Amino acid sequence: MNLLNRYLQAVAKCLPSARRDDIIAELRANILSQMEDREHELGRPLTEDEQADILRRYGNPTIIAGRYSEHNLGLAFGRQLIGPELFPIYKTVLIINLLITVVVLAGVVPIVARAIGGAITLTRVLMPLAVQFGIVTLIFVILDQNKGRLLDKWDPRRLPALKANPEDGPNAQDIFTFIAGAVGTLWLALTPRWPYLLLGPGALYLQAIPLKLMPQWIEFYWAIVALLCAQLVLGFFRLFRLLPRRQARIMDLTLKGVGLCIGLLLLLKAPNYVSSQYQEVAVWANLSFLACLILALAINLWGTGRLLLSLWRERDQMVPARQH
Amino acid sequence: MSESPFENLKLELRRGCLVLAVLAQLRAEHYGYTLRKALANDGLEIEESTLYPLLRRLETQGLLISEWREEDKRNKRFYRLSKEGKLLLEQLLDEWYNMGTSLKRILRESKV
Repeated sequence: MNLLNRYLQAVAKCLPSARRDDIIAELRANILSQMEDREHELGRPLTEDEQADILRRYGNPTIIAGRYSEHNLGLAFGRQLIGPELFPIYKTVLIINLLITVVVLAGVVPIVARAIGGAITLTRVLMPLAVQFGIVTLIFVILDQNKGRLLDKWDPRRLPALKANPEDGPNAQDIFTFIAGAVGTLWLALTPRWPYLLLGPGALYLQAIPLKLMPQWIEFYWAIVALLCAQLVLGFFRLFRLLPRRQARIMDLTLKGVGLCIGLLLLLKAPNYVSSQYQEVAVWANLSFLACLILALAINLWGTGRLLLSLWRERDQMVPARQH
Repeated sequence: MSESPFENLKLELRRGCLVLAVLAQLRAEHYGYTLRKALANDGLEIEESTLYPLLRRLETQGLLISEWREEDKRNKRFYRLSKEGKLLLEQLLDEWYNMGTSLKRILRESKV
């Protein structure tokens, strides 16, 4: 049943998490019944090719997941441009794309405007968003018009292998993430003593162009290191499944919230993070730091939002299923 | 996209009929796979990827009710018509018979 599990995994990836488990359980029961019926007719177990034939008749995982969309929405302009099967994926891709564009614009537009001495106009902000919207929509319209040709040509035997179950023991990815986190924390903790770890040979310039950090910098720095250490401890607990999954996720959410607070407090200090006798160097150093901070905050905010939503939906699933 | 007008119109005609057929078949309880088999046995083939999501939509609209139950050592989701579904089926069947009668009359008149 490895092929069936891989198929269901591919369908599940495209389903809304609130209804995912329920839909997958129902699909599994229906497909298994169909396979058993076929085995009964043939009087022997199905070969992999026969299982693949049954799954192929069910259709491309993306298409079938799209048909479970509650609202059955599409994009139409006179005629239908994007059908309900692809619309949920289109919506997700478009939102991610526009959010990334907004984050990049928030960091880049002020810097560019300052560099060229121009004002931040509405056109400068809206034009990239309109272009992104147009490109993503065009790609999906073309995909939708050719979905018969593109999405029907799929082979269940080429579906991705099964992912490790989070309830199982530690896997290679968990171990790698933990080690990378440990190395990163250690690296950050050691940079004040050995600045070349952060700047490489560029550390020599620090002696030539002394940069003075803001007075509260040391408190912020150690708060960030302490936060990373706490994340590392949580990572260790998660790696060896020493905490229930939901509890670990709530602690992760708390730490992400603390990270957001530190980031926001740092943002309030903008743009006076560094000072130098060379005014231009200080301006660029402050702007670069601000851009990195905004990007880090946006990534943290995105992760926090996703985790919060996922925990909220899990809470819904913990309520016993509606019985009729 | 380049399907013939006949295919497109047949699809449209089928779409409405499928809902009617599913509602009618669910006067008796079925789970997804046996429902598909029952419809196919009565001459109405329907793709799994169309039928199973349709059942969910009809349930969301309050026309079906469902229940997870174990059968043959496996949990299955059984569907049947709700009270509202029964009422709607009666109304739709009335419409269906009226339309059939009208169509027959139109065809008879056009022959004359």
